[in-house]
Amino acid sequence: MSYTLQFGQVWPYLPYLAGGALVSLWLAFLAFMGGMVIGLLGAMGKTFGPPWLRSLIQGYVVFLTNTPQLVQIYFLYFALPDTGILLSSYQAVLVGMTLNAGAYLTEIQRAGFLSVRREELEAAETLGMSRLQSVRYVILPHIMRILFPPLSNQYILMTLGSSMAAIFGVEELTGRAFNVNAQTFRSIEVFSVTAGLYILLTLIASTLLALVGRQLFRARMRIV
Amino acid sequence: MLARMIEEAPAFFGYYNLIFLFQALLGTFLLSAVGCIVGGLAGFGLAVVRRTEGLGLLPPRLAALLFVEAFRRIPFLVTLMLTFFVFQMAGIGIPIFWIAVVSVCLIASAFIAEIVRGGLDSVHQNQWDAAAAMNMGYLMTLRLVIVPQAWKVILPPAFSFFILFIKDTALASQIGVMELTYAGKVLNNKGFSAGLVFGSILLLYFVLSYPLTRLGARMEARLAPSRDRTA
Repeated sequence: MSYTLQFGQVWPYLPYLAGGALVSLWLAFLAFMGGMVIGLLGAMGKTFGPPWLRSLIQGYVVFLTNTPQLVQIYFLYFALPDTGILLSSYQAVLVGMTLNAGAYLTEIQRAGFLSVRREELEAAETLGMSRLQSVRYVILPHIMRILFPPLSNQYILMTLGSSMAAIFGVEELTGRAFNVNAQTFRSIEVFSVTAGLYILLTLIASTLLALVGRQLFRARMRIV
Repeated sequence: MLARMIEEAPAFFGYYNLIFLFQALLGTFLLSAVGCIVGGLAGFGLAVVRRTEGLGLLPPRLAALLFVEAFRRIPFLVTLMLTFFVFQMAGIGIPIFWIAVVSVCLIASAFIAEIVRGGLDSVHQNQWDAAAAMNMGYLMTLRLVIVPQAWKVILPPAFSFFILFIKDTALASQIGVMELTYAGKVLNNKGFSAGLVFGSILLLYFVLSYPLTRLGARMEARLAPSRDRTA
């Protein structure tokens, strides 16, 4: 063990790496929002749709949640060009993450749907609430209270998962770490600084999400 | 794309490629299995250490806390790279497969520790107090009172984490570990069309993961009613 750690060469790259952290957050955010839309449609289809739609959605969810996201993106990136669909690496990663998130978020949101009881809707109707009012005052607060913790958890997991974008050459936090590593050859230092940035990033994100969840939705969430 | 895939299929599913794919499947399975077993045991140990009380055990408790909170927040790819370079710089010449195993175990034990901690916390505080009143020690309380009730809460999420985990091992291909995704890259480089190769790899992962998912769902359904009663 004759290796001396020298962080001196890595520090100048800190702003560059921190910029990559923002790219990671943004990538995860875009994929999460896309996944939320897919998940909402999927959950509605699976709860209220006709049988063929249900089994179609079920097939999508089962297949996407039982195969690795990395290989799904490989498929999008390398196999789709054969059919004439050419995705840039950023697009392929984004589409792959969105589709993958859509499958998980379908399941999460469906659980939220199922948690609303018929009695609550009947009670809202008895109180003379309109459809819109019962969605606004009964269903949404209830669903968000239950859904917010697993949703924010999923967002954090997706921020970590976005690191695989580096494999396709997207310059987010891990991708930039690869670049800095190639320039300085200070591998251990670069990747420990990167790891530290990820810890900081997710700590800030999960603390903010927990605060929002507790304030807005009275969700039971632990801060850190 | 389809015509080309059908044309290539006989060559792709040749004897040696099938053996190659089978070995890759075995690699993925071994990587996940070792990670599950070591991660399960170490994670349990970490959770037990975190539940201890008193000043004497503060340093190990803090160490466990830091370990768990850190490794749950570092992406697997970064952990993998870090382990890889640490082993390289330390001059420890072990096969790459075992480097991947080490990083897999690090991540698994951190996540399992958090799941086990949730399970231990799910047992009501009164039970801990009652055990203490009967002069049971910490380990005895765990063995006779807490774990018999907590395992039903721990097992389903731990199982679904392990299934999640099989898919995470795909990242080990990045340091050159012989597993399914790596095999896919090799076969793709050999000239087989990406659709055929990665389609088959996706299917193989599915074959590995889907039965376990079903098993997990059945287990959860069976354990759920009894879970409500003890709560």
